[in-house]
Amino acid sequence: MTRRRLRTFALALVGLLAVAVLWEFYKLVGPQRGGEIFGWGILPRANDNVMPHVWDMFARYTEPDRRGSETRIWQTVLGGGWFTFRLAFLGFAIGAVVGVGLAVLMARFRVVERGLLPYLVVSQTVPLIALAPLVVSWGGRVQVGDFVWPRWLSASVLGAFLAFFPVAVGTLRGLKSSPPAALELMDSYAASWRSSLFKLRFPAAVPQIVPALRLAATASVVGVVVAEISTGLQGGIGRLVIEYARQATSDPAKVYTAVFGAALVGLGMAGIVALLDKLLMRGRPPTEPDIVMGATT
Amino acid sequence: MTTATLAVGGSARRVLDAVWPPALFGVAFLVIWEGAVKVFDLKPYFLPPPSSIWAEFTGNLTLIRDAAWVSGANAFVGLLVGTVLGVAVSFLLMRFRLLNDMVTPLAIALNAVPIIVLVAVFNNMFSSTSEIPRRLMVTLVVYFIVLVNVAKGLRQVSPIHLELLRSYAATPVEVIRKARIPNAVPYLFTALKIAAPAAVITAFVAEYFGGPQNGLGSRIVSNIAASRNAVAWAYVVGACLLGLTFYLVSIAMENITTSRHHTSRGDDSRGSGPGGGTT
Amino acid sequence: MRSELVHPAVAVAGVSKVFNRGSANQVDALVDVDLVVAPGEFVSLIGPSGCGKSTLLRLIAHLIEPSSGNVLVNGKSASQARLDQEYGMAFQQAGLFDWRSVAKNVELPLELKGWDKKRRAARAREMLELVKLGDFVDHRPWQLSGGMQQRVAIARALAAHPPLLLMDEPFGALDEMTREHMQAELLRICDETRTSVVFVTHSIPEAVYLSDRVVVMSPRPGRITDVVDVDLGRDRDDDTREDDAFYRKIIEVREALRNGGHDTTVDHETVDPDAVGHPLLGVDDR
Repeated sequence: MTRRRLRTFALALVGLLAVAVLWEFYKLVGPQRGGEIFGWGILPRANDNVMPHVWDMFARYTEPDRRGSETRIWQTVLGGGWFTFRLAFLGFAIGAVVGVGLAVLMARFRVVERGLLPYLVVSQTVPLIALAPLVVSWGGRVQVGDFVWPRWLSASVLGAFLAFFPVAVGTLRGLKSSPPAALELMDSYAASWRSSLFKLRFPAAVPQIVPALRLAATASVVGVVVAEISTGLQGGIGRLVIEYARQATSDPAKVYTAVFGAALVGLGMAGIVALLDKLLMRGRPPTEPDIVMGATT
Repeated sequence: MTTATLAVGGSARRVLDAVWPPALFGVAFLVIWEGAVKVFDLKPYFLPPPSSIWAEFTGNLTLIRDAAWVSGANAFVGLLVGTVLGVAVSFLLMRFRLLNDMVTPLAIALNAVPIIVLVAVFNNMFSSTSEIPRRLMVTLVVYFIVLVNVAKGLRQVSPIHLELLRSYAATPVEVIRKARIPNAVPYLFTALKIAAPAAVITAFVAEYFGGPQNGLGSRIVSNIAASRNAVAWAYVVGACLLGLTFYLVSIAMENITTSRHHTSRGDDSRGSGPGGGTT
Repeated sequence: MRSELVHPAVAVAGVSKVFNRGSANQVDALVDVDLVVAPGEFVSLIGPSGCGKSTLLRLIAHLIEPSSGNVLVNGKSASQARLDQEYGMAFQQAGLFDWRSVAKNVELPLELKGWDKKRRAARAREMLELVKLGDFVDHRPWQLSGGMQQRVAIARALAAHPPLLLMDEPFGALDEMTREHMQAELLRICDETRTSVVFVTHSIPEAVYLSDRVVVMSPRPGRITDVVDVDLGRDRDDDTREDDAFYRKIIEVREALRNGGHDTTVDHETVDPDAVGHPLLGVDDR
């Protein structure tokens, strides 16, 4: 088992290296000013201003983030990543709770499922950027006692808006997929809907909820990153990507530090879900992990 | 599907049953929205009422259509290229086990990463008027979804089918044609069902990161920036329609193939078709 | 105790069950069925696919309602009997919950009855010892063999000490050796607990070995065509299986099956109305 894991890890590393080698190879042979294939300008420019060397990207981490600044880029990126990570985690949590709640409601009342589900699909096609000002201005009006809606909370809510969907759909499918024999058994006990929900449907749905949570984790990161851009929120990794991308003409390698930072945030959230997976699937038969790829935007 | 095709007599009733709950929810939602705007006297910059959104939508129909055409073309090209690439590479992964073991963990890791930020990088790689960065972004998103799902379909063939073909002394190519490809077809359509809406949304989001200002995404941004909220929401309606179109077409394609193939995919077909629901 | 002596364990009177009434695929799953099971009696239902034996079992369990007629369990209406947990049930699939330990699986019906933790644990241990799985309380169901899983399912069915056990081909998925062993175990358990049993099976030897009476059923429409009394005494063991009397009973049941239906070739491809909620049939029309 551990040997297999070591092999997987090593191969993944080799794969990453291969990507880096391909990158450098293209820099060697690719057209400096970009190129065309069949009249389409799909070949990227291979010069150092556009495609910096891989080692330059990593070398940037130790440099100051602004001229004359004490903080190094790695500190800034890590700080921004941590900021985004916390917002994404909150968005993920909100999204998971809302998603599970909706799924239970839909599983309980068929009319709600039929009426609501199509709109949940539509809701995901609403560009987040259109909702951002709405959430920000609504949040601005919320004031309960001493609680004042902080600006970053809007970003979390927008993350939750993307995260709830896979959870709702996955949980609903899970809740509806209890084996018929098990449902009959609960029926034979004259079990209430509530007890069959908690004793059968929920536990039986866990294997489908976990992959849904995995999708939700990524979705919440994407949601927060886009929200940072569209609400003008400072301090997160999304903002850094945009900021560094603007400096790309003078320092093309810099933006990659932030891009890798964003990747790290996503992997961190995936790690949280992996822990949840371990926790929720405790004592269950070991299975091949089911890879579900889904919408990541 | 099965029930619908078998019970011909109750089909009209069935259609009615399928239509009224969403219709009811939709109308109720719009009425509450409109009512809330009227009753609380919400300012248009806060939340425009559906009636004025509709007015802007019909008034700007040609503009919205043009913008939808741009974003839709980006999404479509990316979807097409990403699917072709994904299918091609999944055959490679099927053939070369080592490559598979190398790429799969990377694909899984990438799936956890907000790769959308790469648009910022792509924008620098090409000229500023180019649609290529956006299409590249869509391609990348679609590519990984298709790759992982189709590779799984090609790999996870029932051992019984493989043994059967072995007993027929089938050549490797025949095994691929008779067992692996038919097995992977439903996986491809499940992937497309996920990838099609993702392609549209990626195309919109990619527009937030700069580049030419001609798609639905950038129109929404510029109209919101100019506080023309009702117009922005009219574009949002266009965006929803575009996303729905892609989604419905992918579902229709899946239904056509599954009703022809009628393959079981391991999951319980009770209640919903393969893949079920609407991921 | 007294009421059990007075009331039959099961009394089915004039029961019919129609699926999809009025539609093109209407199925008469059961027509005018009468059946009385005495307290402590072991009754098997046997017949080809589509004869309605599982439907009859589910009617007794009140998992579905009869289209007409009357079902009494232990003197109560079937619905009341279900609410009062007058029966335990076991299916072809053990249907254990993967996420619960073996003991917790047995405790499930007791949890739903609101028993406290200590009492539940004690009863679960008692039941698992009855089925000779006392050493496996903390195991997970998926770590057990098929026969052991089915024994857990029986322990679960009997956990609340119901006077009646309803079993739907519980040994159908087991290999022959395990199956014979489980049959002997079931007889021992029922004798120890004085439980009445209604047992659905496809297997003639199984029905004969287990039962006091074998009810022979026939499809299209589902009905009872014959009842074979099995007077082999209650002390049955492996020698019983090699007895001439045992063989004669097997032949008797076989002939009853053959004579029962006009259509004797069992057509497994036809629709089985036992499969409740079958895509072809839709849900029953209660």
